[in-house]
Amino acid sequence: MSPLWRDEIAIYLAPRKIAVARRERGMRPQVTAATEVAVPDGHFGDLRPTMARLADLLRESTWQDATARIVVADPWARYGVVPWPSTRLDADGRLTHARYVLADAFGDGLADWAVTLADTPPGRAYVACAMPAQLRAALEDVLPPARLTLTSLQPQLVVAFNAWRHRLPADDTWFVSLDDGSLSAVHLARGAWDRVHMARLSTDWMVELERLQAFGRLTRAAGATSRMFVDAPIWMRHNAAPPSADLEWLDPGTSEGASSHELALLQRVYA
Amino acid sequence: MKSPRRVRLDFVAPVQQARWSGVALCAAGLAAAIAVGVAFDLQLAERSRLDAALGAISAPARVPGAASVRSAEDAAAIERELSIPWSLLLAELEAASHESASTVALLQVEPDPAKHVVRITAEARSLPDALGYLERLQQSKVLRYPMLESHERKKDDPEHPVRIKLAAEWRS
Repeated sequence: MSPLWRDEIAIYLAPRKIAVARRERGMRPQVTAATEVAVPDGHFGDLRPTMARLADLLRESTWQDATARIVVADPWARYGVVPWPSTRLDADGRLTHARYVLADAFGDGLADWAVTLADTPPGRAYVACAMPAQLRAALEDVLPPARLTLTSLQPQLVVAFNAWRHRLPADDTWFVSLDDGSLSAVHLARGAWDRVHMARLSTDWMVELERLQAFGRLTRAAGATSRMFVDAPIWMRHNAAPPSADLEWLDPGTSEGASSHELALLQRVYA
Repeated sequence: MKSPRRVRLDFVAPVQQARWSGVALCAAGLAAAIAVGVAFDLQLAERSRLDAALGAISAPARVPGAASVRSAEDAAAIERELSIPWSLLLAELEAASHESASTVALLQVEPDPAKHVVRITAEARSLPDALGYLERLQQSKVLRYPMLESHERKKDDPEHPVRIKLAAEWRS
Protein backbone atom coordinates (compact mmCIF):
# COMPACT_ATOMS: atom_id res chain seq x y z
CA MET A 1 0.00 0.00 0.00
CA SER A 2 1.25 3.51 -0.78
CA PRO A 3 2.52 5.37 2.33
CA LEU A 4 0.15 8.18 1.39
CA TRP A 5 -2.81 5.84 1.83
CA ARG A 6 -1.56 3.97 4.83
CA ASP A 7 -3.85 3.94 7.88
CA GLU A 8 -2.89 6.26 10.71
CA ILE A 9 -2.84 5.55 14.43
CA ALA A 10 -3.26 8.64 16.62
CA ILE A 11 -1.98 8.12 20.16
CA TYR A 12 -2.49 10.39 23.15
CA LEU A 13 0.11 9.83 25.85
CA ALA A 14 -0.39 11.16 29.38
CA PRO A 15 1.19 10.11 32.68
CA ARG A 16 -1.94 8.24 33.77
CA LYS A 17 -3.81 7.65 30.54
CA ILE A 18 -3.38 6.48 26.95
CA ALA A 19 -5.93 6.97 24.20
CA VAL A 20 -5.63 5.43 20.74
CA ALA A 21 -7.64 5.88 17.53
CA ARG A 22 -7.18 4.25 14.15
CA ARG A 23 -7.99 6.34 11.12
CA GLU A 24 -8.56 4.70 7.81
CA ARG A 25 -7.14 6.71 4.91
CA GLY A 26 -8.51 6.98 1.41
CA MET A 27 -10.98 9.22 -0.31
CA ARG A 28 -13.13 9.47 2.81
CA PRO A 29 -10.92 9.10 5.90
CA GLN A 30 -12.73 7.92 9.02
CA VAL A 31 -11.96 6.66 12.51
CA THR A 32 -12.52 2.90 12.52
CA ALA A 33 -11.43 2.03 16.07
CA ALA A 34 -10.76 3.95 19.28
CA THR A 35 -10.00 3.08 22.87
CA GLU A 36 -8.41 4.45 26.02
CA VAL A 37 -6.64 2.75 28.87
CA ALA A 38 -5.49 3.89 32.28
CA VAL A 39 -1.91 3.68 33.49
CA PRO A 40 -2.48 2.88 37.15
CA ASP A 41 1.08 3.36 38.35
CA GLY A 42 1.93 6.26 36.02
CA HIS A 43 3.16 9.63 37.24
CA PHE A 44 4.70 12.82 35.87
CA GLY A 45 8.27 12.00 36.69
CA ASP A 46 8.52 8.58 35.04
CA LEU A 47 7.81 7.68 31.43
CA ARG A 48 8.36 3.95 31.82
CA PRO A 49 4.91 2.88 33.09
CA THR A 50 3.19 4.71 30.25
CA MET A 51 5.56 3.29 27.65
CA ALA A 52 5.16 -0.23 29.03
CA ARG A 53 1.37 0.10 28.89
CA LEU A 54 1.61 1.44 25.33
CA ALA A 55 3.77 -1.51 24.29
CA ASP A 56 1.12 -3.87 25.71
CA LEU A 57 -1.64 -2.06 23.86
CA LEU A 58 0.18 -2.14 20.54
CA ARG A 59 0.37 -5.91 20.60
CA GLU A 60 -3.23 -5.91 19.36
CA SER A 61 -3.39 -6.10 15.58
CA THR A 62 -5.94 -3.26 15.56
CA TRP A 63 -3.15 -0.85 16.42
CA GLN A 64 -0.49 -2.18 14.09
CA ASP A 65 0.81 -1.57 10.59
CA ALA A 66 0.17 2.15 10.13
CA THR A 67 1.78 5.53 10.50
CA ALA A 68 1.77 6.89 14.04
CA ARG A 69 0.87 10.37 15.14
CA ILE A 70 1.57 11.04 18.81
CA VAL A 71 0.04 13.73 21.01
CA VAL A 72 1.90 14.17 24.28
CA ALA A 73 0.09 15.49 27.35
CA ASP A 74 1.22 18.87 28.61
CA PRO A 75 2.79 17.62 31.87
CA TRP A 76 5.59 16.31 29.62
CA ALA A 77 5.98 19.53 27.68
CA ARG A 78 7.35 22.98 28.42
CA TYR A 79 6.57 26.03 26.31
CA GLY A 80 8.18 29.36 25.80
CA VAL A 81 7.65 32.34 23.54
CA VAL A 82 11.02 33.40 22.19
CA PRO A 83 11.47 36.93 20.85
CA TRP A 84 12.94 37.24 17.40
CA PRO A 85 16.68 37.75 17.92
CA SER A 86 18.13 41.17 17.21
CA THR A 87 21.07 39.57 15.40
CA ARG A 88 20.81 37.21 12.47
CA LEU A 89 20.91 33.57 13.62
CA ASP A 90 20.91 30.32 11.71
CA ALA A 91 18.70 27.37 12.73
CA ASP A 92 21.17 26.11 15.35
CA GLY A 93 21.58 29.61 16.76
CA ARG A 94 17.82 30.05 17.10
CA LEU A 95 17.58 26.69 18.83
CA THR A 96 20.32 27.68 21.30
CA HIS A 97 18.55 30.97 21.88
CA ALA A 98 15.29 29.10 22.57
CA ARG A 99 17.07 26.74 25.00
CA TYR A 100 18.37 29.76 26.85
CA VAL A 101 14.87 31.28 27.11
CA LEU A 102 13.36 27.97 28.28
CA ALA A 103 16.14 27.40 30.83
CA ASP A 104 15.56 30.91 32.12
CA ALA A 105 11.89 30.09 32.68
CA PHE A 106 12.07 26.46 33.86
CA GLY A 107 15.61 25.99 35.17
CA ASP A 108 18.47 23.76 34.13
CA GLY A 109 16.33 20.61 34.39
CA LEU A 110 15.56 21.01 30.69
CA ALA A 111 19.22 20.67 29.68
CA ASP A 112 18.75 17.17 28.26
CA TRP A 113 15.27 17.77 26.84
CA ALA A 114 14.60 17.95 23.11
CA VAL A 115 13.60 21.39 21.90
CA THR A 116 11.79 22.34 18.72
CA LEU A 117 10.53 25.60 17.29
CA ALA A 118 7.33 26.55 15.57
CA ASP A 119 7.56 27.46 11.91
CA THR A 120 7.08 31.23 12.12
CA PRO A 121 7.54 34.05 9.63
CA PRO A 122 10.78 36.01 10.15
CA GLY A 123 10.67 38.94 12.52
CA ARG A 124 7.98 37.52 14.80
CA ALA A 125 8.30 35.90 18.20
CA TYR A 126 8.12 32.15 17.89
CA VAL A 127 6.89 29.32 20.07
CA ALA A 128 9.46 26.91 21.47
CA CYS A 129 8.61 23.59 23.07
CA ALA A 130 10.70 21.14 25.07
CA MET A 131 10.00 17.47 25.73
CA PRO A 132 12.03 14.80 27.52
CA ALA A 133 14.52 13.38 25.02
CA GLN A 134 13.85 9.90 26.46
CA LEU A 135 10.25 10.15 25.26
CA ARG A 136 11.27 10.13 21.59
CA ALA A 137 13.82 7.40 22.22
CA ALA A 138 11.23 5.27 24.06
CA LEU A 139 8.74 5.70 21.22
CA GLU A 140 11.36 4.57 18.71
CA ASP A 141 11.70 1.40 20.78
CA VAL A 142 7.97 0.75 21.18
CA LEU A 143 6.57 1.59 17.75
CA PRO A 144 8.65 -0.50 15.28
CA PRO A 145 7.58 -3.92 16.70
CA ALA A 146 3.98 -2.93 15.89
CA ARG A 147 5.06 -1.84 12.38
CA LEU A 148 4.21 1.75 13.23
CA THR A 149 6.14 4.59 11.62
CA LEU A 150 6.37 7.77 13.65
CA THR A 151 5.32 10.71 11.47
CA SER A 152 4.32 13.33 14.02
CA LEU A 153 5.02 14.15 17.67
CA GLN A 154 3.17 17.17 19.02
CA PRO A 155 2.32 18.52 22.45
CA GLN A 156 -1.29 18.62 23.59
CA LEU A 157 -1.56 22.41 23.85
CA VAL A 158 -0.54 22.92 20.21
CA VAL A 159 -2.98 20.26 18.97
CA ALA A 160 -5.83 21.63 21.08
CA PHE A 161 -5.11 25.21 20.05
CA ASN A 162 -5.02 24.34 16.35
CA ALA A 163 -8.28 22.42 16.75
CA TRP A 164 -10.07 25.33 18.43
CA ARG A 165 -8.37 28.35 16.90
CA HIS A 166 -11.26 29.01 14.50
CA ARG A 167 -13.44 29.70 17.57
CA LEU A 168 -10.97 32.13 19.15
CA PRO A 169 -10.66 35.89 18.70
CA ALA A 170 -7.23 36.79 17.37
CA ASP A 171 -6.48 39.47 19.94
CA ASP A 172 -6.31 39.69 23.74
CA THR A 173 -7.63 36.21 24.41
CA TRP A 174 -6.65 33.39 26.75
CA PHE A 175 -6.91 29.84 25.49
CA VAL A 176 -6.79 27.32 28.32
CA SER A 177 -6.33 23.58 27.92
CA LEU A 178 -7.25 21.59 31.01
CA ASP A 179 -6.68 17.95 31.67
CA ASP A 180 -6.34 15.59 34.54
CA GLY A 181 -3.68 17.24 36.66
CA SER A 182 -2.48 20.00 34.35
CA LEU A 183 -3.41 23.42 33.05
CA SER A 184 -1.83 25.15 30.06
CA ALA A 185 -2.84 28.62 29.01
CA VAL A 186 -1.87 30.69 26.01
CA HIS A 187 -2.43 34.40 25.63
CA LEU A 188 -3.06 35.64 22.09
CA ALA A 189 -2.15 39.02 20.76
CA ARG A 190 -2.58 39.93 17.10
CA GLY A 191 -3.26 36.33 16.17
CA ALA A 192 -0.12 34.87 17.73
CA TRP A 193 1.00 33.48 21.07
CA ASP A 194 2.63 36.09 23.29
CA ARG A 195 2.54 34.34 26.71
CA VAL A 196 2.28 30.76 27.94
CA HIS A 197 1.34 29.79 31.48
CA MET A 198 1.53 26.23 32.83
CA ALA A 199 0.50 24.76 36.15
CA ARG A 200 -0.07 21.43 37.78
CA LEU A 201 -3.58 21.18 39.08
CA SER A 202 -4.57 20.30 42.55
CA THR A 203 -7.91 18.62 43.14
CA ASP A 204 -9.42 22.08 43.39
CA TRP A 205 -8.46 23.07 39.84
CA MET A 206 -11.01 25.90 39.77
CA VAL A 207 -8.69 27.75 42.12
CA GLU A 208 -5.99 27.62 39.47
CA LEU A 209 -8.40 28.85 36.84
CA GLU A 210 -9.51 31.75 39.05
CA ARG A 211 -5.88 32.49 39.72
CA LEU A 212 -5.25 32.62 35.98
CA GLN A 213 -8.24 34.93 35.50
CA ALA A 214 -6.91 37.22 38.19
CA PHE A 215 -3.49 37.12 36.57
CA GLY A 216 -5.05 38.05 33.24
CA ARG A 217 -6.93 40.95 34.78
CA LEU A 218 -3.79 42.26 36.45
CA THR A 219 -1.62 42.07 33.36
CA ARG A 220 -4.00 43.31 30.70
CA ALA A 221 -3.91 46.90 29.50
CA ALA A 222 -6.33 49.43 30.91
CA GLY A 223 -9.67 49.22 29.14
CA ALA A 224 -8.90 45.82 27.57
CA THR A 225 -11.45 43.06 28.02
CA SER A 226 -9.57 39.82 27.50
CA ARG A 227 -11.73 36.70 27.46
CA MET A 228 -10.81 33.18 28.46
CA PHE A 229 -11.76 30.15 26.33
CA VAL A 230 -11.39 26.83 28.12
CA ASP A 231 -11.04 23.38 26.58
CA ALA A 232 -11.69 20.82 29.32
CA PRO A 233 -13.10 17.31 29.79
CA ILE A 234 -16.85 17.14 30.26
CA TRP A 235 -16.60 16.07 33.90
CA MET A 236 -14.62 19.21 34.68
CA ARG A 237 -17.13 21.40 32.91
CA HIS A 238 -19.99 19.91 34.93
CA ASN A 239 -18.33 20.89 38.17
CA ALA A 240 -17.27 24.31 36.96
CA ALA A 241 -18.83 27.71 37.16
CA PRO A 242 -21.33 28.64 34.43
CA PRO A 243 -20.11 30.65 31.44
CA SER A 244 -19.61 34.34 32.10
CA ALA A 245 -18.55 37.41 30.20
CA ASP A 246 -14.92 36.58 30.99
CA LEU A 247 -14.97 32.81 30.54
CA GLU A 248 -16.35 30.55 27.83
CA TRP A 249 -16.26 26.74 27.79
CA LEU A 250 -15.40 25.33 24.39
CA ASP A 251 -18.11 22.79 23.68
CA PRO A 252 -17.16 20.09 21.16
CA GLY A 253 -20.84 19.47 20.32
CA THR A 254 -23.09 16.46 20.58
CA SER A 255 -21.18 14.30 18.10
CA GLU A 256 -18.14 14.18 20.33
CA GLY A 257 -19.99 14.32 23.61
CA ALA A 258 -20.04 10.56 23.98
CA SER A 259 -16.28 10.09 23.61
CA SER A 260 -13.69 10.99 26.17
CA HIS A 261 -11.85 14.29 26.08
CA GLU A 262 -8.66 12.59 24.91
CA LEU A 263 -10.33 10.67 22.10
CA ALA A 264 -12.15 13.80 21.04
CA LEU A 265 -8.79 15.54 20.95
CA LEU A 266 -7.35 12.81 18.75
CA GLN A 267 -10.28 13.17 16.41
CA ARG A 268 -9.60 16.89 16.25
CA VAL A 269 -5.94 16.30 15.46
CA TYR A 270 -6.81 16.72 11.80
CA ALA A 271 -8.43 20.14 12.29
CA MET B 1 -13.80 37.18 12.89
CA LYS B 2 -10.19 36.52 11.91
CA SER B 3 -8.79 33.39 13.51
CA PRO B 4 -5.38 33.20 15.16
CA ARG B 5 -2.60 31.73 13.09
CA ARG B 6 -2.04 27.97 13.17
CA VAL B 7 0.97 26.93 15.24
CA ARG B 8 3.19 24.61 13.18
CA LEU B 9 5.25 22.80 15.73
CA ASP B 10 6.24 19.17 15.51
CA PHE B 11 9.15 17.20 16.94
CA VAL B 12 9.27 14.73 14.06
CA ALA B 13 8.42 16.67 10.93
CA PRO B 14 8.06 20.30 11.93
CA VAL B 15 9.14 22.27 8.93
CA GLN B 16 10.32 19.56 6.58
CA GLN B 17 6.81 18.82 5.39
CA ALA B 18 6.35 22.41 4.31
CA ARG B 19 9.79 22.34 2.69
CA TRP B 20 9.03 19.15 0.80
CA SER B 21 5.73 20.51 -0.39
CA GLY B 22 7.53 23.70 -1.38
CA VAL B 23 10.17 21.74 -3.27
CA ALA B 24 7.45 19.68 -4.94
CA LEU B 25 5.56 22.83 -5.88
CA CYS B 26 8.75 24.40 -7.21
CA ALA B 27 9.54 21.27 -9.24
CA ALA B 28 6.00 21.20 -10.60
CA GLY B 29 6.26 24.87 -11.54
CA LEU B 30 9.61 24.30 -13.21
CA ALA B 31 8.26 21.31 -15.12
CA ALA B 32 5.25 23.34 -16.21
CA ALA B 33 7.49 26.19 -17.35
CA ILE B 34 9.67 23.79 -19.33
CA ALA B 35 6.58 22.18 -20.86
CA VAL B 36 5.23 25.59 -21.86
CA GLY B 37 8.63 26.53 -23.31
CA VAL B 38 8.85 23.32 -25.34
CA ALA B 39 5.26 23.72 -26.55
CA PHE B 40 6.00 27.34 -27.51
CA ASP B 41 9.12 26.27 -29.40
CA LEU B 42 7.17 23.58 -31.25
CA GLN B 43 4.48 26.09 -32.16
CA LEU B 44 7.11 28.52 -33.44
CA ALA B 45 8.67 25.79 -35.58
CA GLU B 46 5.24 24.84 -36.90
CA ARG B 47 4.47 28.46 -37.72
CA SER B 48 7.77 28.84 -39.57
CA ARG B 49 7.05 25.68 -41.52
CA LEU B 50 3.57 26.90 -42.46
CA ASP B 51 4.93 30.34 -43.43
CA ALA B 52 7.47 28.68 -45.69
CA ALA B 53 4.80 26.48 -47.28
CA LEU B 54 2.53 29.48 -47.78
CA GLY B 55 5.36 31.45 -49.39
CA ALA B 56 6.05 28.59 -51.78
CA ILE B 57 2.39 28.49 -52.81
CA SER B 58 1.82 32.25 -53.32
CA ALA B 59 5.13 33.14 -54.99
CA PRO B 60 6.44 30.24 -57.07
CA ALA B 61 9.95 30.74 -58.30
CA ARG B 62 9.78 31.33 -62.07
CA VAL B 63 12.65 32.00 -64.52
CA PRO B 64 11.58 34.63 -67.04
CA GLY B 65 11.92 33.45 -70.66
CA ALA B 66 13.13 35.41 -73.68
CA ALA B 67 9.59 35.91 -74.97
CA SER B 68 8.40 37.36 -71.70
CA VAL B 69 11.41 39.73 -71.58
CA ARG B 70 10.62 40.97 -75.07
CA SER B 71 6.99 41.33 -74.17
CA ALA B 72 7.93 43.39 -71.12
CA GLU B 73 10.14 45.69 -73.25
CA ASP B 74 7.31 46.19 -75.75
CA ALA B 75 4.93 46.99 -72.93
CA ALA B 76 7.39 49.54 -71.54
CA ALA B 77 7.75 51.18 -74.97
CA ILE B 78 3.99 51.42 -75.38
CA GLU B 79 3.71 52.88 -71.92
CA ARG B 80 6.33 55.53 -72.80
CA GLU B 81 4.45 56.36 -76.05
CA LEU B 82 1.21 56.75 -74.19
CA SER B 83 2.83 58.97 -71.63
CA ILE B 84 3.59 61.74 -74.23
CA PRO B 85 1.34 64.77 -73.47
CA TRP B 86 0.26 65.20 -77.08
CA SER B 87 -2.69 67.48 -76.45
CA LEU B 88 -0.73 69.96 -74.36
CA LEU B 89 2.26 69.87 -76.71
CA LEU B 90 0.28 70.49 -79.90
CA ALA B 91 -1.86 73.18 -78.27
CA GLU B 92 1.30 74.99 -77.15
CA LEU B 93 2.92 74.80 -80.60
CA GLU B 94 -0.31 76.01 -82.24
CA ALA B 95 -0.56 78.94 -79.84
CA ALA B 96 3.10 79.86 -80.54
CA SER B 97 2.45 79.86 -84.31
CA HIS B 98 -0.58 82.15 -83.86
CA GLU B 99 1.36 84.56 -81.71
CA SER B 100 4.11 84.70 -84.34
CA ALA B 101 1.53 86.24 -86.71
CA SER B 102 1.82 83.33 -89.08
CA THR B 103 5.42 84.13 -89.93
CA VAL B 104 6.43 80.63 -88.87
CA ALA B 105 5.06 77.45 -90.43
CA LEU B 106 5.36 74.21 -88.51
CA LEU B 107 6.54 71.41 -90.75
CA GLN B 108 7.32 68.44 -88.50
CA VAL B 109 7.01 67.40 -84.87
CA GLU B 110 8.99 64.30 -83.93
CA PRO B 111 8.94 63.06 -80.33
CA ASP B 112 11.62 60.83 -78.80
CA PRO B 113 9.76 59.15 -75.90
CA ALA B 114 12.87 57.46 -74.55
CA LYS B 115 14.62 60.83 -74.01
CA HIS B 116 11.50 62.96 -73.39
CA VAL B 117 12.65 65.16 -76.25
CA VAL B 118 10.60 66.63 -79.07
CA ARG B 119 12.24 67.79 -82.32
CA ILE B 120 10.48 70.52 -84.24
CA THR B 121 11.08 71.50 -87.85
CA ALA B 122 9.61 74.82 -89.03
CA GLU B 123 10.05 77.54 -91.68
CA ALA B 124 10.16 81.25 -90.91
CA ARG B 125 10.15 84.22 -93.23
CA SER B 126 13.32 85.53 -91.71
CA LEU B 127 15.87 84.65 -89.06
CA PRO B 128 14.50 87.23 -86.55
CA ASP B 129 11.07 85.62 -86.94
CA ALA B 130 12.65 82.23 -86.24
CA LEU B 131 14.40 83.55 -83.15
CA GLY B 132 11.16 85.17 -81.94
CA TYR B 133 9.45 81.83 -82.29
CA LEU B 134 12.23 80.23 -80.26
CA GLU B 135 11.86 82.87 -77.51
CA ARG B 136 8.13 82.23 -77.46
CA LEU B 137 8.71 78.53 -76.97
CA GLN B 138 11.19 79.23 -74.18
CA GLN B 139 8.33 80.84 -72.20
CA SER B 140 6.19 77.72 -72.54
CA LYS B 141 5.26 75.73 -69.40
CA VAL B 142 5.03 72.51 -71.39
CA LEU B 143 8.51 72.68 -72.90
CA ARG B 144 11.84 72.88 -71.15
CA TYR B 145 15.21 74.06 -72.57
CA PRO B 146 14.11 74.78 -76.19
CA MET B 147 17.29 75.08 -78.32
CA LEU B 148 17.99 75.95 -81.90
CA GLU B 149 19.84 73.01 -83.41
CA SER B 150 20.22 74.33 -86.95
CA HIS B 151 18.94 76.94 -89.41
CA GLU B 152 19.20 77.04 -93.17
CA ARG B 153 18.01 79.59 -95.73
CA LYS B 154 16.19 77.86 -98.58
CA LYS B 155 17.70 79.44 -101.67
CA ASP B 156 15.73 77.29 -104.00
CA ASP B 157 12.51 78.81 -102.70
CA PRO B 158 11.54 82.14 -104.34
CA GLU B 159 10.79 83.74 -100.93
CA HIS B 160 14.01 82.44 -99.40
CA PRO B 161 12.45 81.21 -96.09
CA VAL B 162 14.64 80.07 -93.16
CA ARG B 163 14.23 76.43 -92.20
CA ILE B 164 14.95 75.83 -88.47
CA LYS B 165 15.26 72.72 -86.38
CA LEU B 166 14.55 73.02 -82.64
CA ALA B 167 14.79 70.54 -79.84
CA ALA B 168 13.11 70.74 -76.42
CA GLU B 169 12.29 68.48 -73.52
CA TRP B 170 8.70 68.20 -72.47
CA ARG B 171 7.60 68.31 -68.91
CA SER B 172 5.81 65.17 -67.78
